[in-house]
Amino acid sequence: MKKLIYAALLTAAAFILIQSCSKSSVNNNGSTDGSSFDRKAMLTNLSANIIIPAYTAFQASTVSLDAAVTTFNTTPNATNLTALQAAFKAAYQQWQATSVFDFGPAEQINFRVNTNTYPTDVNQINTNISSGIYNKDLLANLAAKGLPAMDYLLFGTGADNTAVLAQFTTDGQAANRKSYLAILSAELKTNAATVLTAWNGAYKTTFINADGTDQGSSTGLLVNQLVYDYEILKNYEVGIPAGVQSMGTTFPTKVQAYYSQMSVQLALLHIQAIQNIYLGKSAQGDGSGLDDYLVKVNAKYNDGSLNDAIKNQFAVAIGKLQALTDPLSANITNNNAAVTAAYTELQKLTVLLKTDMTSSLGILITFGDNDGD
Amino acid sequence: MKKSFTVLSFIAAVIIFATSCKKSSSVTPATPTYTVPATYNFSNANFADAKTRLGMYTEMSNVMKNALTGAISATTLKNMFTNTSAPFTTAAYNTSGIQIKDQGFSLYQTDVPSFIDSLVKVSQSTQPASRGVAGVGTSSANAATKYALTATGVNYAQVFNKATMGGLITYQIVTIMDAVANATIDNTTVVNGETALEHSWDMAFGYWGVPVDFPTNKTGAILWGSYSTQVDSGYHANKILMDAFLKGRAAISNKDKATITEQANIILQTMEKLTAAAVLQEVKEIKESINDNVARNSRLSECYGFVYSFKYNPKRKITDAQIDAILALFPKNFYDLTLTDVNNIRDAVAKQYDFVSVQDIL
Repeated sequence: MKKLIYAALLTAAAFILIQSCSKSSVNNNGSTDGSSFDRKAMLTNLSANIIIPAYTAFQASTVSLDAAVTTFNTTPNATNLTALQAAFKAAYQQWQATSVFDFGPAEQINFRVNTNTYPTDVNQINTNISSGIYNKDLLANLAAKGLPAMDYLLFGTGADNTAVLAQFTTDGQAANRKSYLAILSAELKTNAATVLTAWNGAYKTTFINADGTDQGSSTGLLVNQLVYDYEILKNYEVGIPAGVQSMGTTFPTKVQAYYSQMSVQLALLHIQAIQNIYLGKSAQGDGSGLDDYLVKVNAKYNDGSLNDAIKNQFAVAIGKLQALTDPLSANITNNNAAVTAAYTELQKLTVLLKTDMTSSLGILITFGDNDGD
Repeated sequence: MKKSFTVLSFIAAVIIFATSCKKSSSVTPATPTYTVPATYNFSNANFADAKTRLGMYTEMSNVMKNALTGAISATTLKNMFTNTSAPFTTAAYNTSGIQIKDQGFSLYQTDVPSFIDSLVKVSQSTQPASRGVAGVGTSSANAATKYALTATGVNYAQVFNKATMGGLITYQIVTIMDAVANATIDNTTVVNGETALEHSWDMAFGYWGVPVDFPTNKTGAILWGSYSTQVDSGYHANKILMDAFLKGRAAISNKDKATITEQANIILQTMEKLTAAAVLQEVKEIKESINDNVARNSRLSECYGFVYSFKYNPKRKITDAQIDAILALFPKNFYDLTLTDVNNIRDAVAKQYDFVSVQDIL
């Protein structure tokens, strides 16, 4: 009997001890919504069926591009220029489905800005060509490299292909210009290979296993970059050239792919790629994506589901973009109302993705608005 | 019986231990005979002079903004710095009898005129800013965003801004807190409704640049008041500082010496950590405008200004050699910046101040 009392008292004492000190060891394992959504399955689908195929295709396109540069530089004629321009366009198109993933291996090498900083800086390009000096590590050269710089070199150095070809044959700087072109395509190829190798190696596992929702988690990184890249589309591909940040003063030359005149085409590829990531949709079918996640946590928007609102707004925004015509720079000059109308619908989607989706999923947006101080 | 007694006393000991265990993980008021208010509405609080100097700074900053549209006057700015020849638009500043300069750290007092001269020189240029050319540059992202940059890309308006946060504000706050911690300020004689200690503490609070009901209300928060919010997601400086200012001030009025010293030391140390957090916040901003030469250089100038301002904190833990080593990570010409440089600056500061886990979210 006595022993029983001792035991009971000791148990009670131990209970008091545990209770009183347990607060300090409370930990949060990242599940903020209490739902049972299988994020690992989503990350597996996105990495295997969307991200790695995108990097694989982009890497292949940069190999073709670099090979076309080599052929053109060896034999600079009209046929090889046309072939090079086609290889360039293919790479730029594939980039639209690749730019989103600027975290992990891509973030390590600043892949997005190294590949696609525009408007390109023609003065800096020409300085680099005439001086024969180029340091790829200088951030000041970001606007003088990548796809936009090649866009200028291959389409913007003359009024037509005959004039462009002359810049690589008879012009006094032809030799330096060819060297610069080769340096730029080689750099793209190297960067694409670096990122793809990392994803095919250890990073894929890292990505799938970081399946929480905290700031370092893959869902957190992916959603942040999806929203960030989407805002680049909205602002840089459409809004800024259309003058939405400058009280109506337009900047038609600031569009993406200004010289090759495929801005609308690229913007459509870009938004469709972002839509596919959202839906988890790929050549393998409609897999687990952010849409399924929002459905699982029963995210609401007004009286309906947030997922429906987002899907509808994707459709509306894509419809407005489809109403635009290339060259977008001319469209801005001739019918800017259509361009700003597209921007308005893109902006509505920003709010849904950046505010409603992130709060429903408990994900913190960690980038700033980048609008000066 | 004896055994029962032993057991009971064991239980009692456990309960006492458990209670004390609980207390150690929450905050223990040293003397529960006074309450700490939720806002800085102490009836006799007076930090008008600190607010006046922050206002003088704002007027200087506004004059510096004119460098974006034409030449500005070094004489005007230097007169404002010393409150000479009625230089301010706000008449009360001109007749206040106080100034910024003589309240600043010695090195800050001599640095500011040269910062002014550098900015004035840029303002006289008629060319746009580019590598090797001083002038006004336009952000490639936003045509409405412009900065006055030297030929090497330095925005001295921002360097002055950060220097003032270090050389005037941090310097004043840490100097006051150090004196408080060493009990060298009188807390007995009442002058103008306050003891000297109460007034010094109020001035330190005033320099922080926040409203009395901060952080619930953030309206009008400037300089450190703005930056403590900007870094708050990674380093909760708002709460640390506000709690300490409130507790310390209540303790002063209630002659609770232990709490006064404790809170003074918290504020003193927080100011240096806050500066480090601000450096990392600027690193993040640099990365967000990484392909925008003009905006990036301006943000690099902010970052540089914060690192340099460590020198103005006489109570800093970081050594001169460590500061110089971080400054050496900045390129001589800001147009020569590389991603590696940016990461090196981030890593050096994050490591020094134990911010590695939050370095990317500050």
